[in-house]
Amino acid sequence: MNVNFNNRDPVYQQIVRYFKEQIAIGEIKPGEEIPSRRELANRMKVNPNTAQRAYKEMEEQGLIYTEKNHPSKITTDNEILGQVRTELLVEAVDQFVTSVRSINVPVEELLDMVKEKYTENSEKEV
Amino acid sequence: MKKYLQLVNFEFNRIVKLFTVLLGITFVAQMIGVVVQSRSYLNLANEKMYKEMMPQAEFLESFGQMSFLQIAKSSWFFGPIALCVAGVAFYIFFIWYRDWIGKNTFIYRLLMLPTSRLNIFFAKITTILLMTFGFVAVQLIMIPIEIMVLKAMVPNEFRLDLGVMEVVTSIPELTLIFPSSIMEFIFNYGLGLLAVSVLFTGILFERSYKWKGILAGLLYGALAVVVLLLPLLLHEFVLNNFFYPIELLVLEIIMGLLVLSASIWVSGFLLKKKVTV
Amino acid sequence: MIEVKEIEKRYGRKKILKGVSFTAEKGEITCLIGINGVGKTTILKAIMALTPLHKGQILIDGKPIDKHSFEKITFIPDSLTMLPHMTINEAMEFMKDFYTCWNQKRANELLGFFRLDPSSRISSLSKGNTAKVNLLLGLALDVDYVLMDEPFSGIDMFSREEIANVFTSHLIENRGVIITTHEIGDIEHLLDKVVLLDDGLVTKEFSAEAARENEGKSVIDVMREVYQK
Repeated sequence: MNVNFNNRDPVYQQIVRYFKEQIAIGEIKPGEEIPSRRELANRMKVNPNTAQRAYKEMEEQGLIYTEKNHPSKITTDNEILGQVRTELLVEAVDQFVTSVRSINVPVEELLDMVKEKYTENSEKEV
Repeated sequence: MKKYLQLVNFEFNRIVKLFTVLLGITFVAQMIGVVVQSRSYLNLANEKMYKEMMPQAEFLESFGQMSFLQIAKSSWFFGPIALCVAGVAFYIFFIWYRDWIGKNTFIYRLLMLPTSRLNIFFAKITTILLMTFGFVAVQLIMIPIEIMVLKAMVPNEFRLDLGVMEVVTSIPELTLIFPSSIMEFIFNYGLGLLAVSVLFTGILFERSYKWKGILAGLLYGALAVVVLLLPLLLHEFVLNNFFYPIELLVLEIIMGLLVLSASIWVSGFLLKKKVTV
Repeated sequence: MIEVKEIEKRYGRKKILKGVSFTAEKGEITCLIGINGVGKTTILKAIMALTPLHKGQILIDGKPIDKHSFEKITFIPDSLTMLPHMTINEAMEFMKDFYTCWNQKRANELLGFFRLDPSSRISSLSKGNTAKVNLLLGLALDVDYVLMDEPFSGIDMFSREEIANVFTSHLIENRGVIITTHEIGDIEHLLDKVVLLDDGLVTKEFSAEAARENEGKSVIDVMREVYQK
């Protein structure tokens, strides 16, 4: 659980984001137990209050749930899990679009290029 | 109370090394003194009686018998006592300053103990008292041992045997340390305790106000002396020998207690409100 | 809560603190930041009644400090507060004798955490290990508030890391902590609240997370703004 935090975004949001990424790539499975806030603080080297805040935020977003006297778990709600994936994707695409728009390429050309790069990269990885 | 006793125990453990070293020096030096003095007396006797053929009676008449007093008056005996006195005098200051000086700032810990800070004052003054009485007690045990050595070295007919009491009472300097009456004891050691309490207060003034504190400490000391002497001065110079001796004594004791309480109160105040680390 | 109210302090003619006020909550890590000589240490000493103030007041949970407070609040200065000839064991023994809130279980845990040998003599320890012993003696007290003076300065990188780990552990949890530092460096993420000091005054008191959330600024960004004005 090594996270490099930047100093300008709230640390708790960076933690939430880290969890979302891990969920999206399947590193953390739905229904999996998550560390206690103390453990999390310790592993991520953040203040326990910050860890607490991150969990509160995740709870509010429905990402985790807590049954009485049990450790918190990642939600199994597919709708929410889907949202996480979409959210990250939309965010990434938004960023990409913003930076690419300034170059002013026709969208077809761009899509071809994206397609090519994307498959090329995944083939390399395989 | 428990914390006070723990502190005394702790403070005493801190001086135990110095204490035993000084006692060791005292014992060794005084023993050497006994041997050296006895030897030189015996040598003298040998010389006079065997070389100069002086009769024993004449020798004893002109040079006298050997007694412990000759030893007790030598610097072999007095030197180490003076050293111990100097040790105590030095430690009166060092017992405070050692907690401030150097890298370790033990005074932080002492002042942060969950107990009245006055207990630190009491523990330190008790340690000084314990140290003093310790020296006195051990010295009292050493003298009979030294007398025994003297007896073993010098034959009967050349010797004037004295008891510990006789030795102690016949040397004025020693009566300061070993008072012969309860009154004298209270007087000598009471005065000593007062002096230490006033010195401690002075030290705490210095620790609280630095240079200005030294001045305040000196003023406090002077004030203490004046208060203590006030009855005597009035008696002598103003009231024309108005008091009976016993009244004067009671007044002096009251003044002494007054100065002691003032020292404790002021020290407590300084430790609680003004002292700085 | 520790409330520091309008405190003033002079050394000779020089005014070090000119009316400093701030609060530190229980369960939060509050960091006093300022250049060397700004009076950070003096503030901590004043909270512990180790140095007199010329004006102002300090309250701990609403009350001025007294002898009982030392079972509730402790101070870990940057120099050792034990006799150098003592072993770590003897130092712990001393603490146990005098503090009812001494927690030997926690002390043992800290010994393991810092990998210290309890039979070693304090005077023989490296600088980093001395700092750890100092922390151990303070943190093994079951107190509500811990004040630490420059816990990270002048020690090696690995000791720094180990000490930083203390702040994210249960050893600190639920306590109120005030630490001082002259360089915030890699401890930014550990802090809840920051109090910036300059020229004897508090120039800014803010929540680190709020600054990031509301203004998108790191603690260092805020410092830059405040100090370069």
